[in-house]
Amino acid sequence: METKRRQLAAIVGEDNVLDDPKILEEFSSDESLCEPLRPWFVVRPANESEVQALVKWANTTVTPLVPVSSGAPHFYGDTVPTVAEAVIVDLSRMKEIKRIDRRNRIAVIEPGVTYSELAPALAREGLRIPRPLAPRANKSVVASLLERQPTTIPRLNFSLPEPLRNCGVVWGSGDLAFTGEAGNGPLNLEAQWQRGLAQVDGKGPLATDLMRLVTGAQGSMGIVIWASIKLELIPTVRSYFFVPHSELSGLVDFIYKLTKVRLGDETLLLNRAKLAALVEPQPAAARKLREALPEWVALVGLAGTALFPEERLKVQEKEFRALVQEFRLTLCGGFAGVSRADVVRLIDGDSGDHPPTLTAKGASQDIFFLTTLDKAPGLIETVRSVAARFDYPWPDVGIYVQPQHQGVAHHVEFNFPYDPSDAKEVAKARDIYLEASAELIDQGAYFSRPYGYWSELVYQRDASSTEILRTVKQIVDPTNIMNPGKLCF
Amino acid sequence: MEISRDAYRAIEDIVGTENVTDDPAFLDSYAFEWLAELVRPNRSHYMPRPWAVVMPASTREVQAVTKVCNKYKIKIKPISTGWYHWAAPMKDNEPTVQLDLRRMNRIIDIDEKNRFAIVEPYVICAQLQAEAMKLGLNCNIIGAGSSTSVVASACAYFGGGPSSHYMGNNSDNLLGQEWVTPVGKVVRTGSLSSGAGWFCSEGPGPSVRGVTRGNLGSRGGLGTYTKCAIKLADWPGPTEFEVKGRPPGYRLPVGENFRAYTIGAPNWDAWANCYYAIYDNGLGYIFHRQLNLAGANLATALWLTYIDPTKTLNDVETLAKDPEIIAINEKARISFQLILAAQSVDGIQLQDKILDQILSQTGCYKVERYCQQDMAEFTNMYMQRLGHKHCNFIWAGGYMGSWMQAGTPDFVKGYVPTAIKGFEEDQQSHLLVECGGDALMGCGSTLGGGGYFGLEQFVSYDPASDASIDACIKHMEDAIADCVAQGLPLGKELLYLQIGWSDQRIWDGMAKAPQTFVLDFQRQFKEAVDPNSLGDRNYPWLPEKWGQAPAQAK
Amino acid sequence: MTIQDYRADALRCTRCAYCKWVPLDLMKSWRFSKGCPSVEYGKFHSYSAGGRLITSLSLMDGRSTVTDKVKDSVFMCNMCGSCDVACKVCRYDMEPLLAMHALRAKLVEDGDLPEAFQPMLESLRKDYNTMGEPHERRGDWAKDLGVKDLTKTTAKYVFHAGCRYSFDGEQSEVARTAVEILKKAGVDFGIMGAAESCCGGKAFSIGVDQQLHNSADHNLAAWKKAGVDTVITPCADCYYAFKRLYTKHAGSTIKVVHMVELLDQMVTDGRLKMTNPVPMKVTYHDPCHLGRQGEDYVPWDGVEKKIFGQAVVYDPPRPRYNGAFGVYDAPRNVLKAIPGVELVEMERIKEGAWCCGAGGGAREAYPKFSEWTAGERIEEAESTGADALVTACPWCERNFIDAVRGTKGKLEVLDILQLVAMAL
Repeated sequence: METKRRQLAAIVGEDNVLDDPKILEEFSSDESLCEPLRPWFVVRPANESEVQALVKWANTTVTPLVPVSSGAPHFYGDTVPTVAEAVIVDLSRMKEIKRIDRRNRIAVIEPGVTYSELAPALAREGLRIPRPLAPRANKSVVASLLERQPTTIPRLNFSLPEPLRNCGVVWGSGDLAFTGEAGNGPLNLEAQWQRGLAQVDGKGPLATDLMRLVTGAQGSMGIVIWASIKLELIPTVRSYFFVPHSELSGLVDFIYKLTKVRLGDETLLLNRAKLAALVEPQPAAARKLREALPEWVALVGLAGTALFPEERLKVQEKEFRALVQEFRLTLCGGFAGVSRADVVRLIDGDSGDHPPTLTAKGASQDIFFLTTLDKAPGLIETVRSVAARFDYPWPDVGIYVQPQHQGVAHHVEFNFPYDPSDAKEVAKARDIYLEASAELIDQGAYFSRPYGYWSELVYQRDASSTEILRTVKQIVDPTNIMNPGKLCF
Repeated sequence: MEISRDAYRAIEDIVGTENVTDDPAFLDSYAFEWLAELVRPNRSHYMPRPWAVVMPASTREVQAVTKVCNKYKIKIKPISTGWYHWAAPMKDNEPTVQLDLRRMNRIIDIDEKNRFAIVEPYVICAQLQAEAMKLGLNCNIIGAGSSTSVVASACAYFGGGPSSHYMGNNSDNLLGQEWVTPVGKVVRTGSLSSGAGWFCSEGPGPSVRGVTRGNLGSRGGLGTYTKCAIKLADWPGPTEFEVKGRPPGYRLPVGENFRAYTIGAPNWDAWANCYYAIYDNGLGYIFHRQLNLAGANLATALWLTYIDPTKTLNDVETLAKDPEIIAINEKARISFQLILAAQSVDGIQLQDKILDQILSQTGCYKVERYCQQDMAEFTNMYMQRLGHKHCNFIWAGGYMGSWMQAGTPDFVKGYVPTAIKGFEEDQQSHLLVECGGDALMGCGSTLGGGGYFGLEQFVSYDPASDASIDACIKHMEDAIADCVAQGLPLGKELLYLQIGWSDQRIWDGMAKAPQTFVLDFQRQFKEAVDPNSLGDRNYPWLPEKWGQAPAQAK
Repeated sequence: MTIQDYRADALRCTRCAYCKWVPLDLMKSWRFSKGCPSVEYGKFHSYSAGGRLITSLSLMDGRSTVTDKVKDSVFMCNMCGSCDVACKVCRYDMEPLLAMHALRAKLVEDGDLPEAFQPMLESLRKDYNTMGEPHERRGDWAKDLGVKDLTKTTAKYVFHAGCRYSFDGEQSEVARTAVEILKKAGVDFGIMGAAESCCGGKAFSIGVDQQLHNSADHNLAAWKKAGVDTVITPCADCYYAFKRLYTKHAGSTIKVVHMVELLDQMVTDGRLKMTNPVPMKVTYHDPCHLGRQGEDYVPWDGVEKKIFGQAVVYDPPRPRYNGAFGVYDAPRNVLKAIPGVELVEMERIKEGAWCCGAGGGAREAYPKFSEWTAGERIEEAESTGADALVTACPWCERNFIDAVRGTKGKLEVLDILQLVAMAL
């Protein structure tokens, strides 16, 4: 172990090799119910060459590496080692915003850059990126995109990985190679910029979509050391609306139409528990607020951007109101207890250091998957019946439905708050997670991000896909040092 | 290499005797391919003949045929609508089954609510668009036009087109797909692998589709795609096109919530600025530099001739000398087509206002003659259905697309002068159509939302003339030389010429690429999924350590 | 013209496959998107116009020989011209239909004509008709109509019934109706009766060019002798033969009128008064030889030349035939003028019409293919909700009638003249 410590220090510097038991303890588990396993070291590289040296070293010494970009808390078990003697590669020092190209609306950033760091830098250029819903302050942008965390503006989501475009990757083999358009040019970003290339096209190179092999990979293919992301203009004027309903099914056709005609920016569906938890950090106040909210709301943001923003907003509002009327729904600008400032914070801000899902009871078992919107109500019913089976109070369950891929796929997410110090609640949360997941996949829910138990469910269903992924893994990480034990590896 | 007749019989047993043939004339109808004359010995118009042409009706039959081919070591080359020399077998003396997928031609379903269609390989874009329109939906049609296979452009090759700016690249529109690997296994990607339906192409975990698609695609060199689901976009127009007029210049009236414009620019800087402004403002349902394919010197004369059913191409010569036409031509010299669409009259009027402001800010303008009713309706028809794409060949029967390096508008603007100058020089031989140096055509963006495309020189040559063929080849070589001299990435002409090169020559070139990781990956991936090497070199790869110093080479 | 004359076309084919579809702009559905019956039935590329261009090239280049399969691919085709229209939308001056004809003529010349055509050819030689009927009976349909016999006297117009109407007892009524209309309109016309001879078009369509010349020489001489300057016919095949083929191959200057054109003129100038309501929903089938192949023919003799370096044009300018000016409006005008008739259009109409299946020798040599082709069109007609499928060609009608009977369908098949007769 001491040898390894010295070797690591030679790569990243003494101060960036951490083995304090408290620190190791932090990385040995997360908010999920995965089995804890303590790593041996946490290392904090500063740049591409250190990352590459680390990976090469890991190959030589056959040491598992677990890349982590975001700060704690982590949620899905992907950053907790699954095998012993692992080294956590903490990329949070790599915080460079390498480039903001206003004209081409592309930014190139390192993995340690968080949403709260990126937003003001982009804002200075009049730019923004589509964001996930209320990310925590220390959430890495690159990690969020690699995980295919849903963003809130479906009309911009031309593909699920959007706005992620190219990546610089140190693959598990130790090779450095770029994905997409960047994979065709020199192995150096400055050299590419000098040639007028801007890392725009995410596909490729050639017949392989390397970017797509690192998304959803839970760090098992390589370490992303930079990413290019597509940017949007900051709106000049905005308005927000809530469209309430007692049932999700009552909003389905409306959302279908909204996303079909690409009206509006942010478009998301929240049940009362989720909205209350997002807005109100105090549990008791959140419960009270919850009672006053409609069962379901669609939150839609309209925006006027670029030329004639006010007129754009006016036209959109007119069309939006017509649509609301067409589906015999009602419209409100807000509710008591949910201010415009709250909405702006949800849309443009972050949830600080306290993720809303944890505020109710200290922990949350999350279940999420992709489906089509017409199936969502039925799948929600499935989860409800499982919750009932275990006497879990359904009103406590937060539900979030996020249209993606311009309204074709929908992220459906459940948050089950529980007290982590109460063994019974922990057991109940686990039982619900396991049983609901098994029933959901049988009913057509798609665990596209198969964390933990989901990987078992998913990869057992289709041997061919599993075989392909293992083939890929074998090629890009022949020694299997990148987060081994995750997914089907 | 002699293949046992048993193999033929085995395939007959699978697909039926009427669905397989090795009649030489029939085989030649697959060997004969556009562009073959540019790469084959003695300017032959024939690529290598397949060993047999087989027409399966189902995925199961494709699998079964694939397994026979594995047993007898016969290469497989799937073809759907089959256009481009790389659709044919690649090498002489390399027995290849040409798998003609035309019997797999169903639109299996259009899910109206969730906006995707599930199609088999022989469904062409025009068919899908016609059906989708009935439901208020539309599909991205790739630049090669609406006679092309949806599956091919979604699963196996490029995928950008004039409507990609709004509707996305077909690679990004790809949802679930069904892929018969070179050993005959069926892989279902994305949500299909979990039995969750067709709606999602990503995952599970890393996206399996990442090995089958990329940017260029496998072009039939890594198994057969037998079905895919494709995302559809909104169509705010009528349920069918009310086409007017006589052939060839059919016209489509421009609806009240649509506009069909040709926008001109005074110079390439203004043109690039206009593109960026269009992206920033989110304008454009269809966005393409199309009509210039005829050559900026001749485009106006050609199109005004074309839309008049009483005229012939002889009239182009006369019209091209008309001072009024010359003046219009100059206005249209640096121009592109833009179709706007909105949900409402308010919406389209606002888009008009935004466009006018963009034009005012950038110094660009609407080319008046092209925006008059006849030309606007023709442009609208052309761009909406993209059923005139073979006007590429209108001059002399041959067209080859050079350049087409993709990047940002500024990047493309950077190589435009070189492309124009070089093409002008090459036309001085009189062995290519002298349409002027600018016959550049390309999408407004091949990516949804804008920002990325390439411009392709439309080099018109006569495939019935050896001298003209040679002139086209010379142009390709000149274009490559110009790119090397300018430090530009090489264009499409390289991909075409490579079809005629030996493996070694191709590998020598690939080995010089600044990054060879993906070529190494593809070699290893091919070894794993295609152990009998039934796929041809349309799926490119590099032998291990090729081009490295002898001590390091294997 | 021989296949060598179309070698350049073959070399310039880019295998784009437009020839397989209706013009793409006109496509309205998946079901009715196909244009070429031959490739839809035969499937392999060789059954398409593009495929046949390559077959020609392959034969010329000595790369292949004429096998039974090749014969099938060449002759299992209606020569309907859908490919020609679709190709020329973009490929402007390519001549796939003419090239396919040249290929047929080549196979005929080399003795590779399928045997199945022999009965028709024998009948033509012996009895001047394609129906295998004795020529003496040819004029029987007009018995007791009191029509001038142009073997004995003269007239300005000759009414040419055609082989089908002359001998098909079920369909002869259409010819009789035409005659009655002409008489009522006071047209100075006669018929050749038993001396009427086949137009030669069908033989030409299978590549037996000499037969066309024989028929043209005979007919033109007979008409000249009878003082005729215009031939009127109710048959689209004959119309095409006289208007296009006789002009091109026999230097004919005779005027040619189809009955629907005459009816249209008579409606316009008030000579045709249709007052009886005919409450029917009908759909109209454009016969290939009246529609897309029914354009005026302008004699041309010239050479290919190049402008702008390599752009291919012709000197003098070569007229284009792409279906733009076929006879489409006349029949529709007539139908719209019939009180009570509601005209509903199929998807594939005018220059994009799907063939009836009878032409090009298909009915004679490939009956299953011919029947299938007709069946496709019947299905398309039925999809409009029409009570009747109306057309202006006896071959179309016969093929449709047989197809409907074969499936025990309910769709009525009528000639436009029959509807007019109901309205008079």
